[in-house]
Amino acid sequence: MDTPVAGARATPHEGGRTAGVDSDVVIETRNLSKTYRDFWGRQKVQALKALDLEIRRGEIFGLLGPNGSGKTTTIKLILGLLFPSSGRALVFDKDATDVGKNERIGYLPEESYLYKFLNAEETLDFYGRLFDMPASVRRQRVDELIEQVGLKRARRRQLKEYSKGMTRRIGLAQALINDPELIVLDEPTTGLDPIGTRQMKDMILKLRDQGKTVLMCSHLLADVQDVCDRIAILYQGELKELGRVDRLLTVRDVTQIQARGLSDQAQREVRQAIERLGGQVVSMANPTTTLEDLFLKIVQEGESHPGRRAREGE
Amino acid sequence: MELEKDILPLADWLFPSLRGPGALVIFAAVVAALSVVSLFGAYLRMAIRLGPGEGFYAVAKSLATVFGSDLPHASWRRIWAVTRLAIQEALRSRVLIAFAVFAVVLLFAGWFLDTASDHPARLYLSFILTATQLMILVLAILLSTFSLPADIKSKTIHTVVTKPVRPGEIVLGRVLGVVAVNTVILALMGVVSYLFVVRGLDHRHEIAADDLERIGGGGWEGATSLNAHHRHQVTLDASGIGRTDYIMDHDHEVHLVDASGRQTFVVGPPQGALVARMPRYGKLRFVDRAGKEGGGISVGKEWAYRKYIEGGSLAAAVWTFPKVTPAAFPDGLPLEMNISVFRTYKGDIVSGIRGRITVKHPRTGLSSEPIPFTAREFMLYRHDVPRKLKAVSADGTLKDVDLFENLVDEEGNVEVWIQCSEPSQYFGMAQADVYLRGGNAPFALNFGKAYAGLWFQMIIATCFGVTLSTFLSGPVALFATGATLVVGLFRDFIISVATGEQVGGGPVESFVRIITQMNQTIELDMGKIVEWIIKGMDAVLMAFMWLFASVFPDYRALDTSRFVAYGFNIDGNLLAQHALIALAYFVVLCLYGNFYLKSREIAA
Repeated sequence: MDTPVAGARATPHEGGRTAGVDSDVVIETRNLSKTYRDFWGRQKVQALKALDLEIRRGEIFGLLGPNGSGKTTTIKLILGLLFPSSGRALVFDKDATDVGKNERIGYLPEESYLYKFLNAEETLDFYGRLFDMPASVRRQRVDELIEQVGLKRARRRQLKEYSKGMTRRIGLAQALINDPELIVLDEPTTGLDPIGTRQMKDMILKLRDQGKTVLMCSHLLADVQDVCDRIAILYQGELKELGRVDRLLTVRDVTQIQARGLSDQAQREVRQAIERLGGQVVSMANPTTTLEDLFLKIVQEGESHPGRRAREGE
Repeated sequence: MELEKDILPLADWLFPSLRGPGALVIFAAVVAALSVVSLFGAYLRMAIRLGPGEGFYAVAKSLATVFGSDLPHASWRRIWAVTRLAIQEALRSRVLIAFAVFAVVLLFAGWFLDTASDHPARLYLSFILTATQLMILVLAILLSTFSLPADIKSKTIHTVVTKPVRPGEIVLGRVLGVVAVNTVILALMGVVSYLFVVRGLDHRHEIAADDLERIGGGGWEGATSLNAHHRHQVTLDASGIGRTDYIMDHDHEVHLVDASGRQTFVVGPPQGALVARMPRYGKLRFVDRAGKEGGGISVGKEWAYRKYIEGGSLAAAVWTFPKVTPAAFPDGLPLEMNISVFRTYKGDIVSGIRGRITVKHPRTGLSSEPIPFTAREFMLYRHDVPRKLKAVSADGTLKDVDLFENLVDEEGNVEVWIQCSEPSQYFGMAQADVYLRGGNAPFALNFGKAYAGLWFQMIIATCFGVTLSTFLSGPVALFATGATLVVGLFRDFIISVATGEQVGGGPVESFVRIITQMNQTIELDMGKIVEWIIKGMDAVLMAFMWLFASVFPDYRALDTSRFVAYGFNIDGNLLAQHALIALAYFVVLCLYGNFYLKSREIAA
């Protein structure tokens, strides 16, 4: 296997190939691993083990997993807030530690870590300046975003007076200040009430409709099920499941037959045919599972068989 | 005022000259040495993490990004954003309270300052400038060391570094923000303390008509009222105009007002208390007791700054003053002397030790008639050598000479000889003790220059604080920055320990001596091996002490408040040198901060 950092020295030729064939790939991780060490360099915890991911333009990608599964570590590695122990994370074909990539990224951290002594306007103005935006552009953008996230009446209040929901909204606004192509959301709905959650989800879908790529992580399954196109399920730092939400939630060893106008006789014959072909009629119940079931199953399997991908050959 | 080092002209100080390699060369050498050490350290760190080959690659790449991409793409708008943020943060955390504390300290300081001192202005100024220095440095360190770590701890920095902002911009922005806040506070302190000094020293005396007696020739004589712990003797001429005597570093103008037959004496404000003399220094050499060229002698004082000449002998201290022209000194030579006296017997303690001044032509040796004076310890003696002098001609008779025509040579040099007239008593002198007074600079301007000196110190402390806080947590950075301050304030002592100048050995040996209650000067005598271990540990520690003390800022040398307190103008060359030193620290430390922050895992 390629040594991880050797990958970091990709020749221009290789880089060109990646860009040429898969120019739609926004985020790519290769064998991305992170080991936290203590002060003396002793290994404390392996937070992420050899993650390979590709996130494509225009999709909403969900990172899913229980607390401590490596979701936030993955996001921090992708943003360059952490350095990989081995492997590599590429964003827009640039190394994750490259500052230049940030021009096209918006990031909403887990709890909106913002300066509490600023008000909404000053906050957005500050982040706008960090993008080197001229004053006129900044002013216009700040007004738009404050309007968009519905903080018009609180625009001159210091953030320390904000409620959790308002903090979340100003956090989202700062992530959108540069009209980013890629939006990284860490637990976007945590701590929001049902209405706030709904609004946040609508916002995410709207961003996708504008052609933006969204990477979000969450442990709130319902949220992920509602908005994500594809998900990756992490458990104890390992990738357990990866795929389209609709496909993952299809129970493939169950065939659902729905028909109209079959007589009792015909139904009996169908049942007999199924039994003759070695099948077994289970029920006529709902054919799809919920993400919650899937998730719990993966976690249980992960505990009994650590290291194994939940459904090989997906 | 003592001046241990000559103030060099800026160009001589900066560039290689006869006096030394010049600051620029030393700076380049230090930067080169630091770069080598830092690069090696960085490589070692990366090599441990990634392996030798990849480690090299990582360091090279980091250097390439900083100089190839980060610096060219740095944006003032982003830097200003971070600066503004730091200012807002400081203001909203009500840092101006520090200024209020300063003002309160001043309000009560007046109670404790000894206004009966012989030098009240010196006392006021050194108190106020020292207080300002301590407060502004402590404030700078507090603000600078906690701003970035607080950002990292509260994770607000996560939203900042995920924007296209370079680590260097964050460091520079933080430094500028803290500097801006401290500049405002320092300026406020400056205004308040200027008023405090001026008002604190201001006083008036009164003279009732009965206090003065008429003297022969139509003048008046007498004493003023007792105010501010002192009274002056007054002499007025027949027209009713005169001055008080000069005590406690000032005098007053007095004049008679004759209003409708009632005579009153009006005493003006104190003059000379707050001055900024512009001294013109000469070169000092000594002549020994036999009249031959030689060094002055030591009278056994530990501080070898002053050399001594013996009284009642041919020994003399000779100053050669350059560029003495009638244009610069139309009324003759305004000589000021501050001569130290060493007595081998008590003698007349009240009137001081007698000495004499002779003005000599450097080449012909034609010398003026000796001018007698009396030296008292710690007292500035002023003597204006007039243009018209009597000189001793070759045949031993006195003749009239002109200072500039007969005693100053073609290049404008003139020699001033100072000798002690009392046998077995000694005069001690250093080069800066005798000078020509070339007018006064405005005191307010000089006061401002001292504050500029404080400003430079504050900038250096801030840079250290911010840079150290890029890789240390707040309290540790505070401690480390405090350590640079302590090292900077006691640098001479640390260097003398590190170079083995101090008796008693290095830190470990000194510690052993302290706990075993062993005198500093006796042999250690603890067995070869133990001694070897102690000295070995000391050698390593002393090397580090020397290294740190040499690289850290010399806050004491940067402190120009002495000049103001003693009433000397701060030389523009000195101020420019200090500005350049501050700039050098600023550039190097910001660059270091940039690398530290860049190599740091922000979220770890």
